[in-house]
Amino acid sequence: MSITKLGKGLVILASATFLFACASDGQEETQTVTPPVEETTTTTIDTPPPKSAEELAAEANAETRKARTVYFDLDDDTVSSEGRALLEAHAWFLAKNPSVVITVDGHCDERGTPAYNLALGERRAKAVAQILMLNGVSSSQIKTVSHGEEQPAVQGHDESAWSKNRRGELSYDG
Amino acid sequence: MRTMKIHYKTVLSIIAFFICGHALAEEIKLDFVISEGIDSARPIAVLPFSWKGVADRPLHDVSSVVGADLRRSGRFNPMARHELVQQVDKYQDVNLELWREKGIEAVVVGNIEEQPDGRLKVGYELVDIFRKQQEVRNGELVNVDRNRLDSYTAFVNAKDLRFHAHRIADRVYEKLTGERGAFATKIAYVSVDRSQTKPYRLMVADSDGFAPQTIFASTQPIMSPAWSPDAKKLAYVSFENGRSEVYIQDIYIANSRKRVAAFEGINSAPAFSPDGRRLALTLSRDGNPEIYVLDLTSHRFSRITKKINSIETEPSWTPDGQSLLFTSDRGRGPQIYKQNLASNRAQRVTWEGNYNASAALTPDGKTMVLINRTNGIFHVAVQDVETNTMQTLTKTSLDESPSLAPNGSMVIYATVYRNRQVLSVVSTDGRFKARLPSRQGEVKAPVWSPYLN
Repeated sequence: MSITKLGKGLVILASATFLFACASDGQEETQTVTPPVEETTTTTIDTPPPKSAEELAAEANAETRKARTVYFDLDDDTVSSEGRALLEAHAWFLAKNPSVVITVDGHCDERGTPAYNLALGERRAKAVAQILMLNGVSSSQIKTVSHGEEQPAVQGHDESAWSKNRRGELSYDG
Repeated sequence: MRTMKIHYKTVLSIIAFFICGHALAEEIKLDFVISEGIDSARPIAVLPFSWKGVADRPLHDVSSVVGADLRRSGRFNPMARHELVQQVDKYQDVNLELWREKGIEAVVVGNIEEQPDGRLKVGYELVDIFRKQQEVRNGELVNVDRNRLDSYTAFVNAKDLRFHAHRIADRVYEKLTGERGAFATKIAYVSVDRSQTKPYRLMVADSDGFAPQTIFASTQPIMSPAWSPDAKKLAYVSFENGRSEVYIQDIYIANSRKRVAAFEGINSAPAFSPDGRRLALTLSRDGNPEIYVLDLTSHRFSRITKKINSIETEPSWTPDGQSLLFTSDRGRGPQIYKQNLASNRAQRVTWEGNYNASAALTPDGKTMVLINRTNGIFHVAVQDVETNTMQTLTKTSLDESPSLAPNGSMVIYATVYRNRQVLSVVSTDGRFKARLPSRQGEVKAPVWSPYLN
């Protein structure tokens, strides 16, 4: 299971916990309080206090945000739905932490001309920035840099390398 | 005695190892390998130049440099040295009959004499084996009674001997083809050797890859070198500050680097105007990659293209300096457009294939060289300016960065061969191809210098 998928799972789990918590809050007033059966039998196990929904969500988000790369198709600057979900996770955090600044680096595979690819890399970086901003991140928190085809993530001259090299990368400054 | 000899040899090989290792680390040298197209070339012979001097032989083998140049042009097929039927160094001694029997069209002979002051006196003669009876001189038909097509004597510094050989090749080429030779020129390129602390290097070498020199070394990528028309400066893109910025550097003056564009966004694709006074380049400072022209005297930028959502890049000047060719994806996919700087009117000029980029015109303005993608394969192609017909020149598949020799006869470009990025050369007529594999690391972004004088 990839970190991204694990992260997504945790986000869903956290959201569910949050919803459940809301629902039970509403019902509590009408219920008769029954003392727990095992109240007197104290055990030595030190149970940590249950995490709040917010904490769980933040943890899940931190896990998701370990992934910082989104991938693109050839000649294209459209972020895939998978990439979009990852960017939404970063946006959730960035919107909550307006003092945090990130750099979005746009990259291309080696195919095509270097100068055109430099422009295409910028388009990809901006497409990533656009999604972050649509999800509440301030433009002042985002810097975009294009590297064109100059900084491949994977060396090689075939699709297995190219698919890894057409990418947008987020890096948290400082 | 025997052990002594072994020791001596061991020491020698250790020394040789260190020298070679050092040389490899210091310079990324290129060697041409002819890959295609010798059949149609004209048979000639370049005889070894005779030598009179203190050392056993001159520092450089002039005739092999001349021969290799002429072979690389694709127009000539110099005879192998072991097949030469005569070893002479003067026109008078050339036996025309012997060469005629071999089907050789022209013979180059020469001699080198070391002078008391250390300079070298280089004599050269070009002999037409198939005698011409008459030729037109100053508009008049005159009788020609000699077969000597060209000759000269020059005094050169010993260190310049090898480069001088390219000048001899230029003369031979011009006499035999009627077109100016472009061997006594330079190429600039970027080498990437990830084993080095500064992997990215802007290099300048002779047109045959010899004598490479590092112009600028960096831990960050270098892109898009471009020559000034006087062949003294290079404009290029450097990422030394974490993003693309444009610099101009005089290659003969230390500490002459100047940063000329470092705006928000991309700063890229510099191209000097034919008069050297302006620099076309791509900036995205207004939000979108657009073509600008920087006046190098007033340092003012004027924006040439005004689009909102498309990529406008890779400006290239027409030889008259009146218009720019550039790549734009204002239609669907990148295509070449031409815009006149006075009228500011742009017209699309490429129509074949869904990806055309990196265009430049030959000096006569008749042919456009570019990168074309057809069926997913990137080739160097030429398009006839008059008829708009396109012809693919290469069989390699990841071609980029084509650059024309100043006489328009050859194109140097970057491609991938055996999983490595290498430089290749193809004649503009597509008949001849050669490869310049680097001995270490990868090489890219080649750009041919203008004539050096």
